[in-house]
Amino acid sequence: MKKRISAALLAVAIAFSMTACGNNERPKEENKTASVTEEMSFETMKEEAKGTTVTFYGWGGDEKLNEWLDNTFAPAMKETYDITMERVPMDIDQVLSQLSGEIQAGEKNGSIDMIWINGENFRSAKENNMLYGPFVDKLPNFQDYVDAKSKDVTLDFAYPIEGFEAPYGKAQIVMIADTAVTPDMPKSAEDFKEFVRKYPGKVTYPALPDFTGSAFVRNIIYEICGYEQFLDMKGDKETVKAAVEPAMAYLRELNPYLWNEGKTFPDSSTTLDNMFSDGEVVLNMTYDAYGTAVKIADGAYTQTTQSFQFEKGTIGNTNFMAIAANSGNKAGAMVAINEMLSPEIQADRYDTLKVIPVLDNSKLSKEQKASFDGVDLGKGTIPQEELLSKRLPEMPAELVPIIEEIWTEEVAGK
Amino acid sequence: MKNKRKSIFISITQFVLLAAILVPAVTLLLWIFTERWTWPDLAPQVFSKRAIFEIAGRKKELLQILWSSILISTVVAVLSAVIGIMTARAILLYRFPGKQVVYFFTILPFMVPATVFAMGIQITFIKMGLNNRITGVIIAHLICSLPYAIRLIMDGTAAVGSRLEEQARVLGASPFKAFYKTSLPMLMPVILSAVSMSYIVSFSQYFLTLMIGGGNVKTFTILMVPYLQSGNRNIACIYSTLFLGVTLLVFGVFEWAAGRFMKHGGGEFYTSE
Repeated sequence: MKKRISAALLAVAIAFSMTACGNNERPKEENKTASVTEEMSFETMKEEAKGTTVTFYGWGGDEKLNEWLDNTFAPAMKETYDITMERVPMDIDQVLSQLSGEIQAGEKNGSIDMIWINGENFRSAKENNMLYGPFVDKLPNFQDYVDAKSKDVTLDFAYPIEGFEAPYGKAQIVMIADTAVTPDMPKSAEDFKEFVRKYPGKVTYPALPDFTGSAFVRNIIYEICGYEQFLDMKGDKETVKAAVEPAMAYLRELNPYLWNEGKTFPDSSTTLDNMFSDGEVVLNMTYDAYGTAVKIADGAYTQTTQSFQFEKGTIGNTNFMAIAANSGNKAGAMVAINEMLSPEIQADRYDTLKVIPVLDNSKLSKEQKASFDGVDLGKGTIPQEELLSKRLPEMPAELVPIIEEIWTEEVAGK
Repeated sequence: MKNKRKSIFISITQFVLLAAILVPAVTLLLWIFTERWTWPDLAPQVFSKRAIFEIAGRKKELLQILWSSILISTVVAVLSAVIGIMTARAILLYRFPGKQVVYFFTILPFMVPATVFAMGIQITFIKMGLNNRITGVIIAHLICSLPYAIRLIMDGTAAVGSRLEEQARVLGASPFKAFYKTSLPMLMPVILSAVSMSYIVSFSQYFLTLMIGGGNVKTFTILMVPYLQSGNRNIACIYSTLFLGVTLLVFGVFEWAAGRFMKHGGGEFYTSE
């Protein structure tokens, strides 16, 4: 009996000591921002954000981007605004589940400030009131340098942004091949079929719902069915299925000539990247239009590697920065986002990371323009003018999961 | 003749097993420096120091994160062992109502998928104010590692029984001394396995740490997993190698501490020297 009591006491003691040390480590800057962020001018925000920390949640698998955020952007923010930037590497699914948990639990001073987001994730986050906004019209750099009317800025996968996201970078699908191995680059869906037949077992694409694989299939749909009809299509499976059937038939015809005879597909675009650099396949595809130059410089791709597009164009989209609805530091997040949109930072991202800038060229001064034009894009890339001239808009976000479902049912393994 | 054949068979098996361990390890080390290695070449074509630079550039941050990860996981491991011993003894050596229910509860965390568990407990922890804190992460890890620790230590406790301890009590030892001098040394091997198991469960926890730590609590795994997912092979390899090395080092320390205890602590009667 005695033993049992002492054991119980010990357990209680342990529990107590734990909660006790829990209380000691409360976050330092609590409740600095109130709900009055709405009425603040940008100058007040700068003042308010001084000495605070801003967290930036987003995908963390690119060591060059991480390095840039930690060693270029963060020091600049510290120096100019006395804001400490904290990068948190997290997949967007996890960011959103953490955010929804915090909001459900009624946390007012949330740990997530800035989020790197776009597409379907943005739509579901916005519709579930998980994002703060509209905020972009408060940012001086957004007003000065961004073309607020361009479709790249007002629509995210055809879903109206309404000021809840500020552009971060532009991406566009390109295909990559080694000219020394495959001198003939397919310029259309027809060419692509020929190409696949010519190199049987050497071509494939990432299994949907991989981001890149999904975009590639949408691109094939655009090639075969045209893109205009999808821009205002209702998210109804029967309608979509009827519209994309010719493209699905085309993809089924490809299957026997694909890697592993189309019975299986690589699980992700990163797997395909590695298969391509290993020489297991002869064609790669990426959203990171200028990533090829970086990979060639690293030595992962051969010097003769070249990126290319279909004649009719390839899908491009923009990725964005948003602010969590319950962010504990909205003012700080806005100052950081504003800084990200400055011509200097955008030019530096273009130069170091080869991310297509989001600013409006016609709004830049001569010197600013020169800093963008002076960037050497490196080997194997498509000039920016040409790339952007063949840029097709994304489909409405709600069609994307439907097409992924149809592909899984109609194409995979068929 | 028969013996010889047997020994050949054994050495072949040994060789295959050794190769199964060494080949991946060597490949791992080789890939740290490899940028491109296309089929069918036997050696990589392009080497690079990219991964080394990445690690070197983050030396300070990395050391700090490694240190806090080791600390978190060690605390989890030690607490699991302590709670494990107490639970195992309560279930095996004492009689009380609802014992079966308690036993069932101890293995419950095995049955609930970690993701489901993480999302539920996140909300509870936010309400309790444990979210984004090291304490919260430790408690959450503890829930995952306890079933392993309890199961392992229960097997040991069942084998050791309580007879020697009772004998020590009869001879006049205090309850704690009796346990410390008889059962604890005999349980040491299973405790060591339980500690190691709990440590590795905690150290490799990704999703749970993310949800409960909310990005505020950074562990080595949180830093590493994005690189594994991104297919960035040389950087993934250098992080994996670090992970392996650090874990082995920590296990070495655990082993050494257990050895010391056996020699100078409660185990003095059990060591042959």
